[in-house]
Formats: sequence, C-alpha cells, structure tokens
Amino acid sequence: MSITAETAKEHAHDPAVLCCRAEAGITIEPANLEDPAIFDDLVDSGLLCLDGCLTIEEVLGAKLTKTCDSLAPLTADVLDGVKAVSAPAAAEVAEAVEEAPAAVKAPAAPVAGGTLKIHIGEGKDIDLEIPVGALGGGAAAAEVPAAAVVAGAAAPAPVEEEKVVGTLTRKHFNITEVKRGPETKIEGTTLYIREGIEADVIADQELVKDFKLEIITPELYHTYSETVMDVSPIATKEGDSELGSGVTRVLDGVVMMLTGTDEGGVQIGEFGSSEGYLDENIMWGRPGCPDKGEIFIKGNIVIQEKTNMERRGPMAAHTAFDIITQEIREVMKKLDESLVVESEELKSIRRPGKKKVVIVKEIMGQGAMHDNFILPVEPVGVLGARANVDLGNVPVCVSPLEVLDGCIHALTCIGPASKEMSRHYWREPLVLEALHDEEVDLCGVVFVGSPQINAEKFYVSKRVGQTVAMMDADGAFVTTEGFGNNHIDFASHIEQIGMRGVPTVGMSYCAVQGALVVGNKHMQYMVDNNKSEAGIENEILGNNTLCQEDAIRALAMLKAAMAGEDVKAAEKKWNPNVKSTNVELIEGAYGKKVELVGNEQELPMSEKRRLKYS
Amino acid sequence: MNNERLNYGERIIYMEGVVVDIDDCSISVDLKGRLGFFKAPKRMFICDTEPKVGQEFGWNMSFPEQLGPEINEHYVSNIEKERRKQKEMRARLDDNKED
Repeated sequence: MSITAETAKEHAHDPAVLCCRAEAGITIEPANLEDPAIFDDLVDSGLLCLDGCLTIEEVLGAKLTKTCDSLAPLTADVLDGVKAVSAPAAAEVAEAVEEAPAAVKAPAAPVAGGTLKIHIGEGKDIDLEIPVGALGGGAAAAEVPAAAVVAGAAAPAPVEEEKVVGTLTRKHFNITEVKRGPETKIEGTTLYIREGIEADVIADQELVKDFKLEIITPELYHTYSETVMDVSPIATKEGDSELGSGVTRVLDGVVMMLTGTDEGGVQIGEFGSSEGYLDENIMWGRPGCPDKGEIFIKGNIVIQEKTNMERRGPMAAHTAFDIITQEIREVMKKLDESLVVESEELKSIRRPGKKKVVIVKEIMGQGAMHDNFILPVEPVGVLGARANVDLGNVPVCVSPLEVLDGCIHALTCIGPASKEMSRHYWREPLVLEALHDEEVDLCGVVFVGSPQINAEKFYVSKRVGQTVAMMDADGAFVTTEGFGNNHIDFASHIEQIGMRGVPTVGMSYCAVQGALVVGNKHMQYMVDNNKSEAGIENEILGNNTLCQEDAIRALAMLKAAMAGEDVKAAEKKWNPNVKSTNVELIEGAYGKKVELVGNEQELPMSEKRRLKYS
Repeated sequence: MNNERLNYGERIIYMEGVVVDIDDCSISVDLKGRLGFFKAPKRMFICDTEPKVGQEFGWNMSFPEQLGPEINEHYVSNIEKERRKQKEMRARLDDNKED
C-alpha cells in the first residue's frame, strides 16, 4: 500500500521500497513507496532484502532509471538524482527502544548571574556550560545543537509553594517472636495469638469448613505450602483516624499469609500456582512479598467443596482470615507508645506549577478471585470495604496516602509472578516515587477494575478517560497486574487518556508470555515490569510485579513524554537489553544509581525450575 | 525464546470449540472434532458479550511438542502430594456426610 507525504516524512530515514510496479522515467513520490511498518515481517520471511536500500528521504524526487516490480528496494543503481543524506537528527541515533530514553533532566530556570548547565544525554553526551549573560535572552539557546529538546523540558516553573494536603504517620512496632497463648496479646516484641482462635475463624463464615494456623519463622522457610493467596501487613488505625490520614500502627517483622483449598483438597486458585517450598517460590523483598527474615502468620483455610471457583468461596476465606488480623489489631490499638521503634511521616504533597500527573491502576475485576475489596475501615481489612466487581469496576479515585495505608485488600486467588497482593499497595513503588519526585505534582490515584466482557471494558475505560480529563492532568501512568484480556482495557485506558492529549506511560508485565494482545497509537510509552530471566510467568510469587526500578523508568519516561521528546518505538520482539540501556541513560542523566532487584536466579534452584527454565 | 525448541511451532491451525462450563473464574471448552477439552482462566478469553454455555469460540493453536524425555521430579512430587491430600480430604468429607 502506498504511503502519504506525512508518513514519508515520519519514516524519512527508513528504507525506500516500491509499493507497486513502477515504470522507468517516473519521479519517485510518497505514493510509489510501501509503508516501512511491514518490512520487519517481510525481511524475516526472506521476501525482502534491504541491502543497499536507500532511505525514503534520499529517493523522494529522484528519477527511476529502470522499470521495477512491486516490493523492489530502491538502490542507487536504479535511480538518478538521489538526494544527499541530511545530517541525521540527534533523536535518530538514540537507541530503538521499547521504552523511552531517559528524560534529560530539566535544568532549573536560568537565574541572573548564575550559570545555565545543560547536559544532553543522547548520542554524543555533550556538556555545555554557558554563563547566562552570554545567552542574550532565551533566543541564543537556538545556537546550541539539539537545544529544542532541552527547551521543551525546561519550561521554567512558576515559583509556587509546595502544599501538604495530607499526612499519615506510621508508627512501627517491632515483633521478633510469634507464639500461641491463652490470649492474643503483645508483650515487648512477642506477639501471642490466642489458642483456639481457629474455631472463631471457622464459625465466622458458613463456607469455611476448616482452618489451620502455622507460625513460619525463618528456620521453617523450607516448608511445603499450598499456593499463597495473599500477603498482607498487620496494621490498624489509631483512635478516630480514618484510612489515609492520622496515625496507623503497624507491626514490623511479621506478615499475614493466606493459603487454602476446598474440602476436596483442590487449591483455591485459578490455575498454576506457587505451591511448593516457600523459600523456592517467593521472590523476597518484592513490594507485595514477605521480606527475608520476617515471620509469617500463615493460615490455611478449607472452604466448602467446589466453591473454590466461585466468587463466594475465596471471599469467605479472606473474610474469615481477617478475624485473626482484627484480633491482633484490637491489641495493637492498646499498645504503649514506648514500644514504638520508628515513627515515619508520609506526606501527600501537591506541587502547583509542576507537571500534574495521575496514576491509574487497573486491578482485576473479572470475578471470583479476580476481585479486590476497596477502602476498608482498617488497613487491608474487610469491614466497610466494597468489592470492585460489585461497584461495576468503575474508576474509584483515592489519595496516594489511602493507597499506602492499605485501601486495597487484594482478593488474589494465587500469587504468581505478576499479581499484586495486598502488601503491594501498602508499599506501592510508583506512588512513593511520584510522591517524592519534586518535578511532578501527583494529584491522585484512580483504581479501575478489569471486567470480563469487552463492552464493559470500554464502558469503564471511557469513564477513566473522562476522569483524567477533568483533572487537567499533564501526564498519566496506567498500570495493570497479571496479563490476559485485561490488556484490552489497559490499552483502551491509555487510548482514552491519550486521545485527550495527555501523554500516558503504560506499565505491565509483558515480555514473552504477556505480550500485549492489542495496541494503539497512544501506546508509545511502555515500561515492562518483567524481571524473569526468560521473560515468562515463572510461578515465583511477586517476581514480575512493579518495583522501584520500574517506577523510576516510568517517571523518567513520562517526564520525557510531557516535555515533548521523541520516544523510540518498541523493538519487534522482547529484548531485555532495552531495559538495561534505559537504566544506563537514566543513571547518566540523573547522576544516580538505579538499584536493580534480583530475580528467580538468586533463589535456591528447585529441580522444577532447573529443568523447566534453564 | 523457548519456542526455538519446537520443530513444528509454525504449524498453526485454526480451532473451534464449544463452551461446556463456566464458573466465576474459568471457562471450559470442548474442542470440536472430539479433539479434547480444556479449561482456562476467564482472563485469557476475549468476549464481546457475556460468555455462556453453548457458545462457540475460535482460536489458533499448534501441536504440543515434547521438550525432552526428562521427568521433573519436583512436579511429580507436587502432583503426588496433591493427589494424596485430595484423597484424604475427600475421604474425610465422605465420612462427614455419612455422619
């Protein structure tokens, strides 16, 4: 198919290939050329060889000296009057990436008498230091090669005060030992859980038929376990504080972990699972996972036969397990202040005048275990919360502090590599990074469920588009967990936001198995959360979830996009080097080291992985 | 990329099947032509309307190829553990029902 003059301009440096037979003597126009977008497939299949092929820019206006068939690459020997190559633009030498090159750090507004430092991280790494006086007003900047890039990023921010719109204090209590005892209590750093509490858990929900509580200390990490359904922090609100504000008390060194089966012994899980030895199946330290050294209060719930695949089954399991957490919460409320080991204040800061960004987090909403309780009364509790499936999966706006205070109780069925468990939200890296980044103004977080049916998917994504439009945001992040049909609405959210002129960075596990099923022209800025060596769902709990390193790349990319910089298109196939190149670019531009997390390779190698994935 | 290990990976065939069961998180499909059955998570099915029993689905697939003769003992042990547990739990369930 021939291309338009516009496409020809976009692809000026791409190969020129005839789209149909052309007679000798004609002058090459865009209409004679094929769309370069299809070349990769043709080259792969051997139908096209681009050796010696000139670029579109070179051939336009040249005269064809020989009659050529369709799909003939245009080379110098069949053309007369080939144009000289223009100096390649700086952007063209940038690496072709799936993700963006790092944003050039926006220089501060020039200050009279100071110096304007410009660092260009692309291509030749040019460092310029020019006394402000010599610039003769902004115009002189035009003399600097590639200044446009910098100018775009440099929009001097009007000096406006930062505004603290909310604070949340986390008081940490340390727990070094968990024991059973006659009553639930905390003495010093020892947590006692009432003996016989199991009966209360069973009695709480009709569907719960059996329950067993285990205390897993680090020495017991090499214990066989059913698939992990959830990992959550133990936290409670102090006094009359509401979720997302006031004071939250949290226990350090211990987490709640839920596992379960139905009465027939079938895992409460969708498919695939992380069952096996805990230490071989948990990616320690991921935001949603336990950290090495922590004690797990592990509950194994047995629910009524055949309700494992029904919505009510896992819901009952999560609700019943919260009985124990709630009993610990009640004890925590009475703890003496002297036991607080650390008090940390989280601030929700608005930065008027800076680029306003919003985080849209797509959560599962297809039903059953693809569901989440939103906004419980207690952090990661159950009481007072509404399931997003019951809310019709429509967008729900929350403050960043509500996210970090456990406003999501994730009803995950299984905790495989890419799903976000309750603890993930408690330590959500993107919210934390955006909140602390002084160059952006994080206005809020929007949760939106992913329904099963396409019509509903588009219904909710249109609401997301409108919600973001009303915020007058300058940029947006759209994240999703897991993969599958949720990528359809993930793409639609990005489109709905993008078509309103708001650059949007998409974040998902994609790599090999989670490759996107759809795409659109607004999906230019993508960050892949994959950490696994082979780019696959490797059944290791939390391995491919969003981490700080992904948040840093996404923020750098969004800043570049908001500054109007070009971001190279993704490579055709998943290439892990793209990520490392981007990380290097960011480290160069920001002058700070980006700590990369490990992956399954550092866990004790189970026989299963050795055979399957090596 | 592991698909380099396949010898016939490019032999893609258009398949159809009929939905025989749906629960809150999965869809079960009988493959037309008596070619088997599969059950997969709902999130892997793309549906324009609500999925219902009796509806037909289409997809492309290829032949599953053996990747080697090795037996992964870890998987065997997991499967055995799972079966043993299910057997025990089922026996207990049946006992309870008789009571």
